[in-house]
Amino acid sequence: MKKLLLILLILSSYGFSAGENNCGSLEKCDAFSSNVHDLYSLQRGLGIYMNYCASCHTLKLLRWNRLQKDLVIPENIITEELIRTPDTKIADHMTFGMPDVSPIGAPDLTLRTRVRGDEWIYTYLRTFYEDPSQTSGSNNLVYVGTAMPNVLAGLQGNQALDTGGTLVSISEGSMTAEEFDDSMKDLVNFLAYAAEPARITREKNGVFVILFFIVFTAVMNLLYREYAKELK
Amino acid sequence: MASEKNTIMGWVDRRLPVTENLERHLTKHPVPKKVNFFYLFGALLMVVFMIQVVTGIWLMMFYTNTEEGAFASVEYIMRDVEYGWLMRYMHSTGASAFFFLMYFHMFRGLLYGSYQKPKELVWLFGCFLLFLLMAEGFLGYVLPWGQMSYWAANVILSLFGAIPFIGPDLQVWIQGDFVLSGITLSRFFALHVVVVPLLMIALVVFHIFALHEVGAGNPEGVDIEKYRDKKGMPLDGAPFHPYKTFGALPAIGIFFIVFFAIVFFAPTGGGYFIEKPNFEEANFLKTPEHIAPVWYYAPFYSILRAVTFGIPFLGITSKFLGFIIFAASIAILFVVPWLDRSNVQSIRYKGMYSKIAMILFAASFITLGYLGTKPVNELRTIIAQICTVFYFAPFILMPIYTKYEKTLEVPDRL
Repeated sequence: MKKLLLILLILSSYGFSAGENNCGSLEKCDAFSSNVHDLYSLQRGLGIYMNYCASCHTLKLLRWNRLQKDLVIPENIITEELIRTPDTKIADHMTFGMPDVSPIGAPDLTLRTRVRGDEWIYTYLRTFYEDPSQTSGSNNLVYVGTAMPNVLAGLQGNQALDTGGTLVSISEGSMTAEEFDDSMKDLVNFLAYAAEPARITREKNGVFVILFFIVFTAVMNLLYREYAKELK
Repeated sequence: MASEKNTIMGWVDRRLPVTENLERHLTKHPVPKKVNFFYLFGALLMVVFMIQVVTGIWLMMFYTNTEEGAFASVEYIMRDVEYGWLMRYMHSTGASAFFFLMYFHMFRGLLYGSYQKPKELVWLFGCFLLFLLMAEGFLGYVLPWGQMSYWAANVILSLFGAIPFIGPDLQVWIQGDFVLSGITLSRFFALHVVVVPLLMIALVVFHIFALHEVGAGNPEGVDIEKYRDKKGMPLDGAPFHPYKTFGALPAIGIFFIVFFAIVFFAPTGGGYFIEKPNFEEANFLKTPEHIAPVWYYAPFYSILRAVTFGIPFLGITSKFLGFIIFAASIAILFVVPWLDRSNVQSIRYKGMYSKIAMILFAASFITLGYLGTKPVNELRTIIAQICTVFYFAPFILMPIYTKYEKTLEVPDRL
């Protein structure tokens, strides 16, 4: 019996460990898992989003006042500086005055990290390179043939593919490579937050729920042992 | 008896046999003293069933069952409804937990012969419950109206379309439309929240009443009814309440630790509980690259895909043959009580062949499950075909090996 269970255990771990990689022309996406508990990172991510993403991409499921509350931003900064369309109220969704479907076909980004995964987005944002054959003038290693122009080139500088197929920097941007990577982590953190605002509460309070059930189990085990004595 | 007493309970008991039934099913119902952890899954299944009902009711209060509104209403639950995310994650994790526990519960039944005479009906009701659970899970998975909801439902509904002659009409009848649409969504909602749960509740009641009629089993396969004390309580038995009810509480605690660890820290289960494409709204113009079922259907989906050949001279396509074998993989569980010819119940006293058969079955089930979540290639198809044979062989050969293998002597007492 025990042998049987052991075999099952080994088999099941083998069954759930392997996964298919899905990272475009790359073998593997760069490792990154988002953290929504770093408030400053989220705020910096919002900054990058507002400056580089918001002119094309909506966040149609996220409300301004939810953002204000969760990212601890003063209300006047939201209403005076971030909301740039006159009719938008603070309880409205972050559509930046765009219609439901973006006129240039840019997808809504609210749930994007959940569809693609953190690693995909993080790698995608960092692997743009110059490609004159594309309409936008740039291409991407993760999403080959993407229609998105390399809007981050000002920060990262331009990259090109060498003959071996690896990325090389051909001009400098306003950030160093590390600074740019950190900024993209901030941006992915922010997008992960936008995908699931409740994740902040979820991961914070989960610990207490688990602790409660550990205590519950311990107490119930003592109770059970009292009854088990009578069964002998 | 309380019914003779001049109390409120006595008054009720003369009109409704409450005390009698409490004694019959709880305080005086004998269950074996010594069982192992495999016997806790039934209680845990009841807990999960209740979680699903309660969270389901809350979700239903905010969910919109229309093509236009379904996806947005789920995100509304996740964002704007207070603790809506908790209700939704408990419900989605509960679905996975339901199957996980169900598979162990049934495997326990197979190991310890919990289907043998006179427990055939208990087993049959259980098999019906598995079938209903699979239907319920499928219907529920369509409701969020994400990409995987839509395309997985398309795959399953097209199976009905593969039935010769009546197939295409049957598929349209089930869908209520020529394509999978909002009409299908509405009827799936009705089935998911009313019809199937009602049937499940009824079957759970039958399952438990039938079990209490014939008595619970034990890992030794010993008949505890043989030796009784003066009060009529079996010597190896103890009343269900308080011994087993309190006995289940630590297990329920451990279950909740694992359950809430998933709900709070990994609600999507790495894409196995809620698949990534399901965070994108259903789009009938865009098929996902790889349509994978949720993990709990994966073994059966693998069997379906393993059938790559039809029977052309009978007009049976490979798709329809796959559907038949897929259906048979569940149907064969129903007849297990009549396949087992062994004179002992428990695997502990059965012979070598039964043990090998159980290992083969479990290993092939898990391997099929793994393959079901992966895209097909040639090697995987061959492995799936071998595993499909190993899935069925333990059952098909059961009448032979259980009859002729050498069994051990079952002790008299637990």
